[in-house]
Amino acid sequence: MIISNDRLRDIGEFIPQPDDDILICRCEEITKGEIRRACHDGIFTMEEMRRYLRNGMGLCQGQTCSKLVKGIMARELKISPLDLEPATSRAPMRPIEMEIYARDGGNVG
Amino acid sequence: MNRYDVVIVGAGPAGLSAAIEAAKNGMKVVVFDENSKPGGQLFKQIHKFFGSKEHKAKIRGFKIGEELLKEAYDLGVEVVLNAIVLSLHGEKELTVKVNDEVRHVKGDAVIIATGASENMVTFRGWTLPGVIGAGAAQTMMNLNKVRPGNKILMLGSGNVGLVVSFQLMQAGCEVVGLVDAAPRIGGYGVHAAKVARTGVPFYLSHTIVEAEGTDHVTGVTIAQVDEKFQFIPETEKHFDVDTICLAVGLSPMSQLLKNAGCKIVEDPKRGGVVPEVDELGMTSIPGVFAAGDVSGIEEASSAMIEGRISGAAVSEYLGYITKEELEEKIKVNEAALDSLRQGMFAPKNRGKLVEKTDEGIDVSMNLLKKGFVADEEIERFPGVTHRVGIHPVMECTQNIPCNPCQEACKKGCISIGSNITSLPIVVENSSCINCGMCVASCSGQAIFLVDEDLGDGMATVTLPYEFIPLPKEGTKGKGLGRDGKPVCEAEVVSVKNMKAFDKTNLLTIKVPKEYAMKARFFKAV
Amino acid sequence: MKTTADVIIVGGGVVGNAAAYYLAKRGVEVLVLEADDSIGHGGSSRNGGGVRQSGRDVRELPYAMYGIKHLWPTLSEELGVDVEYHQGGNLRLALEESHIDILKGQAERATALGLDVKLIDGKEVHEINPYLSDAIIGATWCPTDGHANPMKTTLAFYKRARELGARFISGEKVVELRKFKGRIRSVVTESGTIYEGNTVILAAGYESREISKTVGIDIPMSLFYETCLVTEAQPPMFDIMLGVATAEIYGHQCDHGSFVFGSGTGLEPSKVPDSSDLRVPALDVSANCRCIMKYVPMLKDAKVVRSWGGWMDITHDHVPVISPVEEVPGLLLACGMSGHGFGTGPAVGLLLSQMVVGEKPICDITPLRYDRFKSDR
Repeated sequence: MIISNDRLRDIGEFIPQPDDDILICRCEEITKGEIRRACHDGIFTMEEMRRYLRNGMGLCQGQTCSKLVKGIMARELKISPLDLEPATSRAPMRPIEMEIYARDGGNVG
Repeated sequence: MNRYDVVIVGAGPAGLSAAIEAAKNGMKVVVFDENSKPGGQLFKQIHKFFGSKEHKAKIRGFKIGEELLKEAYDLGVEVVLNAIVLSLHGEKELTVKVNDEVRHVKGDAVIIATGASENMVTFRGWTLPGVIGAGAAQTMMNLNKVRPGNKILMLGSGNVGLVVSFQLMQAGCEVVGLVDAAPRIGGYGVHAAKVARTGVPFYLSHTIVEAEGTDHVTGVTIAQVDEKFQFIPETEKHFDVDTICLAVGLSPMSQLLKNAGCKIVEDPKRGGVVPEVDELGMTSIPGVFAAGDVSGIEEASSAMIEGRISGAAVSEYLGYITKEELEEKIKVNEAALDSLRQGMFAPKNRGKLVEKTDEGIDVSMNLLKKGFVADEEIERFPGVTHRVGIHPVMECTQNIPCNPCQEACKKGCISIGSNITSLPIVVENSSCINCGMCVASCSGQAIFLVDEDLGDGMATVTLPYEFIPLPKEGTKGKGLGRDGKPVCEAEVVSVKNMKAFDKTNLLTIKVPKEYAMKARFFKAV
Repeated sequence: MKTTADVIIVGGGVVGNAAAYYLAKRGVEVLVLEADDSIGHGGSSRNGGGVRQSGRDVRELPYAMYGIKHLWPTLSEELGVDVEYHQGGNLRLALEESHIDILKGQAERATALGLDVKLIDGKEVHEINPYLSDAIIGATWCPTDGHANPMKTTLAFYKRARELGARFISGEKVVELRKFKGRIRSVVTESGTIYEGNTVILAAGYESREISKTVGIDIPMSLFYETCLVTEAQPPMFDIMLGVATAEIYGHQCDHGSFVFGSGTGLEPSKVPDSSDLRVPALDVSANCRCIMKYVPMLKDAKVVRSWGGWMDITHDHVPVISPVEEVPGLLLACGMSGHGFGTGPAVGLLLSQMVVGEKPICDITPLRYDRFKSDR
């Protein structure tokens, strides 16, 4: 699936683009340029990218930006977006107050 | 213990249909939905649906939602609203936030019908307030009765972009243009045509360069793109708008399945990241099913059928119906699903240019590029004929799975035949009685009743009209052509509204007879 | 693709990556093999980010203290990535007298080794950190402890090592080691590729046990389950690392504003899933929230945005194995981090590089030998 196993694979130089300052992940305010640059730091998977930059780690958990990030990464890494495994999703599906989470009604009611 | 035979997540068309089917088979069913109103996207759909009678065609989406909900309640389905499913665990246990606490619920089977969310595209200024999803605009207008803006540009010419543009105008917004980077309109031609005839320009092979404004949208610049979707210099066009609507596709909301450990695949044909499912919708986790948009983006009509199939599948999985009964149900539903997946917009044709109809007629290129069939093209379609006296003119020019018009005419003037995607034809030697049922029943608003020659040099055109204010008899104005441009003087001679029309008003306008086949909309002056 | 290197490192977690960096910096040719598709997918992505000395076993303290004194302060600068290191101190909290007894013993042992850590009362706790529960009756306070971002740190070592020429191959699961003429030589992966090196560093967490068995070495190690949760961003409150005497939870506020807490509830899954499965059991997040609110009640309105969990390697005595293997010359072990390997990751990486090139190590690692385990029955 992942064809970018060799992390010394040459993806060329980072070339600045005029729209590098455009926000891609709104929740965490990560720009296109940051994502592109991270690829040149060796960030080759969606999972690594969000650990490195926090994209997709905010309130919407990447529902909005993951397709966008994937497209940007694929272009930068010179691979097909299909070769990028989507990042995993984590519970809870929506942000929940700690107090409510703590009030675990168990199997009652 | 909160245990159910089946726990369903999502009370949209797929989830409710699944619940109904499972409850009919004697199962104890609960449906969770995070919204305060059930029905999912159906409750935002104020337009009439396509399809056949079995697909609830010509019924408005929100009515279908109400019907499904009533049926579910009548069958004893428990629908829990404002219930946020937080996680799905291997033992088919779900944690659900209900009110101010977390509950644990287990099902012997689980159906995930969480639907989809809107895609975004990026351009300079895309994060400004005023750039919204088309679905969000629909929620604002149709659920919360709030106009999303006054002057709006729509990006995306798929069915969502077309339908929402029309609804925005119904809500009183001005749509300044419909833009799509693709060289052809993506949605149904009839949806495009009803937008175009009101005068909204289409900009194909164009996309947004920039949303302007400092703290909210005050304008937008679009430009033409080449085959590689690169901007062509000096093709920029500016519009003063306060809202930009994005209708650029949907992505399945498959996170819950992903989180549960279901095998996930990326399938662009199904809209993105979707669960791997068998022919009954069962995921890689036995007893966990997926139905509706979450397992592949399609229309609500398909989602309802998929829901019924998965409701039947869980019933068989847990022994509530026999294998034979399941097979029978699948046969019926798959036939319905197949019929919906036919025609020019069938999944297999996605992205392809279909140049001829099934009947061998050249598809209107104007329709694909500008949103309307040109006057010189319209005559080649079988629904467009000439007769003495009043007769239906069906400007239905693409093979789409829809046939309510056939049944609407009690006099047998209209025929589609057994193939639901065939173009409607006017039956020879039939006689139109000017009842208007065909006009009101056409979900695409593509049927007109025309009397080409009243004898005094004038003609009448009866057209569907779903805007307010509704012009009164005697109102003078302009007849607009299919392209939305004024072509002639026109006067409203009759306004009909019957219960059977289901809120589609029939406006009859009198125009000079040479415009009988040209004037297709009315604008009061 | 080249399949030989001077040093082959098995495991692309914080330890493996740090070792790769310090080796590359010393001019050694190094190749890292990571089983997962992503770098840093093991324990390095499932921990609370503590960079602590307090609460540690005396055998770990020397290198834990070295790391905090000499490595962490300049790490961001050195690696060119902000690893979000904050030396805000560590409070290990007590809610009842029995907790104080635990803390007292830990403080005494650490003080004997020269660590500045002291037992303080509830009033002093609230002076240091006014955001905590009034029910807290005391704590140990170690002002030189802190926290950092484990995921960024792990990837920062990777990035810098890569820039220095270290080769990393992901999705390459090692299944076997082989000797050649009495020395370690080959590393065999699931895909059938055979890599060769003069030295092999085994830093593959729990999987190290199965791998080392192939050259006749068994490290007494088992697994335990830990979960983490993170909240949405909160206004800046404190940069103190929090722990509790009972070790139920630990956590801190990140630069980003969110709070990260780790914990183990004992509600772990009934079977060990594959390492890529980071799901949390159904009762876990609720239990963790209750526990966190006992110590930091003002977080009750903070929203939990995500949770994740996973299995970590733990040795019989809860102290890592960092050791050469005389029976297999050229094999170095760095595993069994027992859930507290992140904070010492840089120091362990440095130690490993020193072992490879024959430098005098920063401390004596004899107490961390692989053959120290004896049955106490």
